[in-house]
Amino acid sequence: MAEAVGGGLGVGLGSARRSRRLLAAGVVIVTILVLVAAGAPVLTAYDPDAIVVEHYTAPLPPHAGHPLGTDTLGRDVWSRIAYGARTSLVVGGLAMAISLAIGVAVGLVAGYFGGALDAFFMWVVDLVLTMPTLLLLIVLAAMLPPALLTIPLVIGLVGWTTFARTVRGEVLSLRERDYVVAARALGASDARIMVRHLLPGVLPGVIVLTALGMSGAIGIDAGLSYLGLGVPLPTPSWGRMVSDAQTYFAVAPWLVVVPGIAVSLAVIGFNLIGYGLIDVLGTRRP
Amino acid sequence: MLAYLVRRLLRAVTTLLGTTLIIFLLVRVVPADPAVSIAGPKADPQTLAKIRKDLGLDDPVAVQYGRYLWALAHGDLGRSYITERRVTDVIVERLPATALLALASLAVGFAFGLGVGIITAARQGSAVDLGVLLGTLIGLSLPAFWVGNLLIYLFGYRLRLLPLGGFGTLRHLILPAATLALVEFFFYARFVHANVSGTLGSDYIRTARAKGAPPMRIYLRHALRNAMIPIMTLLGLDVAALMSGVVLTETVFNWPGLGRLAVQAVFSLDIPLVAGTVLFSATLVLASNLIVDLLYGVMDPRVQRG
Repeated sequence: MAEAVGGGLGVGLGSARRSRRLLAAGVVIVTILVLVAAGAPVLTAYDPDAIVVEHYTAPLPPHAGHPLGTDTLGRDVWSRIAYGARTSLVVGGLAMAISLAIGVAVGLVAGYFGGALDAFFMWVVDLVLTMPTLLLLIVLAAMLPPALLTIPLVIGLVGWTTFARTVRGEVLSLRERDYVVAARALGASDARIMVRHLLPGVLPGVIVLTALGMSGAIGIDAGLSYLGLGVPLPTPSWGRMVSDAQTYFAVAPWLVVVPGIAVSLAVIGFNLIGYGLIDVLGTRRP
Repeated sequence: MLAYLVRRLLRAVTTLLGTTLIIFLLVRVVPADPAVSIAGPKADPQTLAKIRKDLGLDDPVAVQYGRYLWALAHGDLGRSYITERRVTDVIVERLPATALLALASLAVGFAFGLGVGIITAARQGSAVDLGVLLGTLIGLSLPAFWVGNLLIYLFGYRLRLLPLGGFGTLRHLILPAATLALVEFFFYARFVHANVSGTLGSDYIRTARAKGAPPMRIYLRHALRNAMIPIMTLLGLDVAALMSGVVLTETVFNWPGLGRLAVQAVFSLDIPLVAGTVLFSATLVLASNLIVDLLYGVMDPRVQRG
């Protein structure tokens, strides 16, 4: 049914030249993000959780000592943004890894074996797609004990369906190809055919989906953190920074603006990579 | 057509059953004790045991699921642990606010998205096209809760044009609807663009052009019309996205709808209310998907065989 939607969001960016440029822009943004996350201890002068302002009166606006100002508790905002990049990337990366593992495995098995197995898995995919995603995530996140791994697990458990659907679709067409038929005739086992012969064929689509899924996971993680359901305190997270600061918007707007820009940049970066790759890798619409 | 209808209905029913099972399991694996959330943390063991017995929490899980389905079949979603009101009543009470917000943003976002999508498809490669593409990539990446906050700051606090949040007049609707409509707009602009430019490459468009049909007629009459089928399908699927979208938007703007209700219910561990709102949203999504599928079958008979 959703296949009928055709492109969905998975349409390329038009010309190949344009795609390469946007892809390059995405790579630059994501590289900066990774460098900031990895180099956070070197790039920041303060501990993200430490209260660094003596004689605290009000949040300090950006100035020389604190390039992004200080927050409502007197902590350095730049440090929290830099360490928050770690949280976002780790949560997004783990969530993607879980989605990828479940989705690719289910897609390969369902597409390759077909029949009742396929029907069952696709029914489950439909089921998960029917559930209101964010509500489901909120319920899961609130009911599982808070831990760094809870959020990636929750996002991964809901997000694998897109991978499964795409991989299955690709496998359905690949398994009739001559080289797969030949491999089967030579007596290759099912597992070998799936891993050695089918998996490489679905990789381009999976790579695109991973990049797009990464941006989705970072966005969802920010939303959950905003609602207070993200990684447990005191780990800095961008979404939490917005919700903590929103009542101070009138006196300290930078506290809301800066983490929002950080989330947006991260999401844009991975989106540019994903959409850019659609044309560059010549994949079909995922 | 009848066979298609029956097959599609059967699938909807099994999906709905699956949804109830997921919700039931979700609610049953809660580590927190519902008895505690009813009686409070200081209640003595006898009271807790009595509440557990009244709620049937000591029965086998299968029996509990059966009882849950039986109640659902009678339109009974249970009572809120906190306010003890019937969940159906609470949902019915909150539904109009959410429907108003969702429909207003959908109407605005869809109308503008359709227009801009057609224009950019007609002017491919132009500055307008590139601008909208970049705008879309950025616009779809902005977190809704953040955009909402920026709008509140700008229009509510700085310019003092609109209320900071809440519900009541048309003025209260503008900011939350704009927040939600922004995403809808970019989404449809992109999707309409892709589908209309897809059909623009077809033979029948070339024929129409060769006949000397005016450009406007080609875009609206020929290209858009064929692109309308996937666009309409997306409208149906969009119900799911809207149900997610209202959650954050309603929270930011203190909008008394289903989204905020669900978030509050989750935080107060009001299990029947949580289960009820999730099931209600899922049913809504399922129903809209079903309607779209059936319409699709009517419009494109090839689908019925699929």
